[in-house]
Amino acid sequence: MNRAISVTVNGKTHKHEVEPRLLLVHYLRDVLNLTGTHVGCDTSQCGACTIIMNDMAVKCCTVLAVQANGSKILTIEGLAKDGQLHPIQEGFWEEHGLQCGFCTPGMIMQALQMLQRNPKPTDAEIRRGLEGNLCRCTGYHNIVKAIQYAAKKMARK
Amino acid sequence: MKISGEHQLKAPVEKAWKALTDPAILQKITPGCERLQPVGPDEFEATLKLGVALVKGTYKGKLALREKTPPESYRLVMEGSGAPGFVKGEATLRLREQEGGTLVSYEGDAQVGGAIASVGQRLMEGVARMVLSQFFRNLEKELGRKKEGKS
Amino acid sequence: MATGTKLFGSSIKRREDPRFITGKGIYTDDVKLPGTTCAAFVRSPHAHARIKSVNVVKTKASPGVVAVFTGRDLANAKVGGLPCGWLLPGIKLPPHPALAVETVRYVGDAVAVVIAESAFAAKDAAEKVEIQYEVLPAVTDGLSAVQQGAPTLHSDAPGNICFTWSIGDKEKTESAFRGATIVKQHLVNQRLIPNAMEPRASLASYEPATGDLTLWVTSQNPHVHRLLMAAFVLGIPEHKMRVIAPDVGGGFGSKIFVYPEEVVVAWASRQLGRPVKWTAERRESYMTDAHGRDHITDAEMGFSKDGKIIGLRVKTHANLGAYLSTFAPLIPTYLYGTLLSGLYAIPAIYCEVVGVFTNTTPVDAYRGAGRPEATYLLERLMDLGARARKTDPAEIRRKNFIPADKFPYQTPVALAYDSGNYGPALDRALSMADYRKLRAEQERLRREGRYLGIGFSTYIEACGPAPSQVAGALGAQAGLWESAHVRVHPTGKVTIYTGSHSHGQGHETTFTQIGADELGIPWEDVELVHGDTAAIPFGMGSYGSRSTAVGGSAIVMSLNKIKEKGRKIAAHLLEAAEGDVVFEDGKYFVRGAPSRAKTFQEVALMAYLAHNMPPGLEPGLEATSFFDPPNFTFPFGTHIAVAEVDPETGQVKIVRYVAVDDVGRVVNPMIVDGMVHGGIAQGVAQALWESGVYDSSGQLLTGTMMDYALPKADQLPFFETDRTETPSPVNPLGVKGAGETGTIASTAAVANAVMDALAPLGVSHIDLPLTPDRIWRAIRDAKKGGRA
Repeated sequence: MNRAISVTVNGKTHKHEVEPRLLLVHYLRDVLNLTGTHVGCDTSQCGACTIIMNDMAVKCCTVLAVQANGSKILTIEGLAKDGQLHPIQEGFWEEHGLQCGFCTPGMIMQALQMLQRNPKPTDAEIRRGLEGNLCRCTGYHNIVKAIQYAAKKMARK
Repeated sequence: MKISGEHQLKAPVEKAWKALTDPAILQKITPGCERLQPVGPDEFEATLKLGVALVKGTYKGKLALREKTPPESYRLVMEGSGAPGFVKGEATLRLREQEGGTLVSYEGDAQVGGAIASVGQRLMEGVARMVLSQFFRNLEKELGRKKEGKS
Repeated sequence: MATGTKLFGSSIKRREDPRFITGKGIYTDDVKLPGTTCAAFVRSPHAHARIKSVNVVKTKASPGVVAVFTGRDLANAKVGGLPCGWLLPGIKLPPHPALAVETVRYVGDAVAVVIAESAFAAKDAAEKVEIQYEVLPAVTDGLSAVQQGAPTLHSDAPGNICFTWSIGDKEKTESAFRGATIVKQHLVNQRLIPNAMEPRASLASYEPATGDLTLWVTSQNPHVHRLLMAAFVLGIPEHKMRVIAPDVGGGFGSKIFVYPEEVVVAWASRQLGRPVKWTAERRESYMTDAHGRDHITDAEMGFSKDGKIIGLRVKTHANLGAYLSTFAPLIPTYLYGTLLSGLYAIPAIYCEVVGVFTNTTPVDAYRGAGRPEATYLLERLMDLGARARKTDPAEIRRKNFIPADKFPYQTPVALAYDSGNYGPALDRALSMADYRKLRAEQERLRREGRYLGIGFSTYIEACGPAPSQVAGALGAQAGLWESAHVRVHPTGKVTIYTGSHSHGQGHETTFTQIGADELGIPWEDVELVHGDTAAIPFGMGSYGSRSTAVGGSAIVMSLNKIKEKGRKIAAHLLEAAEGDVVFEDGKYFVRGAPSRAKTFQEVALMAYLAHNMPPGLEPGLEATSFFDPPNFTFPFGTHIAVAEVDPETGQVKIVRYVAVDDVGRVVNPMIVDGMVHGGIAQGVAQALWESGVYDSSGQLLTGTMMDYALPKADQLPFFETDRTETPSPVNPLGVKGAGETGTIASTAAVANAVMDALAPLGVSHIDLPLTPDRIWRAIRDAKKGGRA
């Protein structure tokens, strides 16, 4: 009953036979060993599993691996290029946008899409943009600042 | 969870009563009912497969028709459990002639536990309504088919 | 970071962040071992039921199943029940088996475990376990459970009473109340569910050849886990068990305790000779992570004619859940009753607490643990007192503050506050908030039919519970010190091993700041190791905002020992008297002759070469210390919340939030601010949104993130924070603790702001959480009652 899929993750194409019910997040974590994408809930509320799939931020706990067949995926592991942190990663570090770090990969991937769509967001727009991502440590204060840091830095480029 | 409602059938009361107390028909028209095995007078063991959102799963349980007053009313008592948790409840069905057909009214109370309660509780009413509406649609079909068959 | 600059007090970026922002953190579920099996637990869907039978025949035949174990199997193998680490006089300790044997007592109580080749196979097979239950009546709230005729959970705890505890002077309080103006309030401090973002997980690996068991577990205190599991539950020698708490995604208290799942996984791995892993689904977290709070309280406060508090009387029913979690008895007693003086001079206090078993998830420490409950109670009563006396809420507080010249101050509820100066924090907060202008704005808006409220919370916290001897006398089954080992390598690089654990607090940054500063060496030359019992000396872990105050101080003690031994070596090399050798900025030099010097690195190298050591001195340069503080530390502060309530919808918007905290000296202000922010968010959420709800039959209705309202980014404002600094005298760093202040203060501040907003409508109190529905009803009821 397994199905063959081919998925390009962080620029590398992988081919596997998977159970139809295998979730994309478990495919990434358990098959590809990309454990930076986290599972924080069963109901698509927390956003810890947010990745970019075909240029869209998706919560990959609600995507089946077979649905990702043929798609292009970017995970947190693929964001820094040649050892150079992405401005959003830099922003989270500079502004102390994380504590336990568990929600962070999802937050960063969500911020990536947010800033692609709205390069100069207001604080309120950032807060609304994080509607689907939960953090229990920071009270979001420094996450908003981290994304503003990134927005400014990306605008300069 | 309390649930109540009514449904107008074209068939006469006697006929509706017969269908609604016939295990073979009940099994056929209850959505997802894979098995309805008599184990005593008006008592059955049932297997029900529900495929709705978070309350999806196979439920096994018992079902009994009590206080039968043909062709007016009976009380349906049921309990079942499956991987997502358990359902327990009872409902009273009343049949009354109306506009040449039958008005079936029902009123019940159900208790759920386990995952169904913690995850699916707020979906339950919707699920119950959906199952019931399918049930009555199936019943209509069944009654209509019988009529055709006879004539 | 350059040598010589003081790192203490500087906001350097966190060292742990690069791995987290690149997805390279290693949390328990990220640890992969070959041949790992997966565990799935079969849990009770009933709140209270007798287990008539458990049939696992079909389960065992299910594809991929390796083993199935029931409570009976564990009992037969003599696996012990989960222990309780704090015993009060007369406490009832009903058994708490890891897997239920005869009776299940809450929804989620584990009955059996299925271990299979994959998580899918385990879950599929778990669905095939057939359990027959005889359902029993259930009781879920702490007051109903002690009424006559309530269902009894444990035969050895009649009336569901686990303990009755009191503190203070009953008669003195009663006499104080005579002639006082009394404000009374019935208060519900609702049940909360911690929701650390990383669900609990454990991975056990038993090595049959050596008999060694390694357990990776989401723990805030790996040694406590090892001790309790090895000695009390599994009966394996402590030295044959290694517990590793790798990166841990938040704890907030919920990862202090020993849970059934890690016990079962560890035991099963020994049975099977294969690694066994379990990772909670979020639904399991809701059902089984120890919950927090859940008090029902009647409180009254007496005021004299001139507005001074003259007495406080409190009776609380604390819901403990179905079993005693590891530190459950401590929270509503010594972390609650002892805090009831707040930062006020109250001559007479009496508090009685009844600990109650109910058919709910066990309750234990959750961020703040007892202290938010005490603060909420006090601060609500202060506001009710202010309202009754028509006094400004800031002024009634100031009037009752313990004066700065009265320290050390002995409260009537056991604690001795060593230091404090409460006025400046209040003043600073008032000025940051621009209080007068705010009041004027409130007046102006009221005339427009808008309802703005200003809420205060002036709070005290007791953190770093200590000393061990006193704690022992009060029922602690553990010491409350912390350990640190400092190892200097031959090149002068340093590794610090701490018994404290970091799961978001940033120890890898702050503790190495301390180390680099003390030794005058580059920050990059200091490494921190934590969370592995094989690497670090026995330690107590992280809870109660104790890490820097207790763990940091232990590091300082070890660093001092290193410096002293270094001084001996340096004096020998410099041919100077030891007393003449000074250590500054990483150099030992002869007083008055700074050029006659040896660097720390040179001394370190000699310690290991040992070619030229002072006579009688051992080679090597490392030191272990255990710091047992003489007292708690007492952070305090003033928080002000400004909230607007829409009277039509009952919706609350937090307009501003000002927090001025005194956490003593601060190692890394950026990290402290971050913890304060997060703490405030959690406390605000208790005030407005979060609540763990059971239906009357004991079903958990808030069992997912869809139903349990965690705060989101667009519901919160930016927080305006500042600090005053009163160093703690009880530790060498002068630090207090900052992990819980925000949570302790903010719930009351927000609740008071909302009640202040609703004052013109005649509403004086609404129980938490202040949801739109509750506020709307309270406004409607007040209108009906014509009290407006």
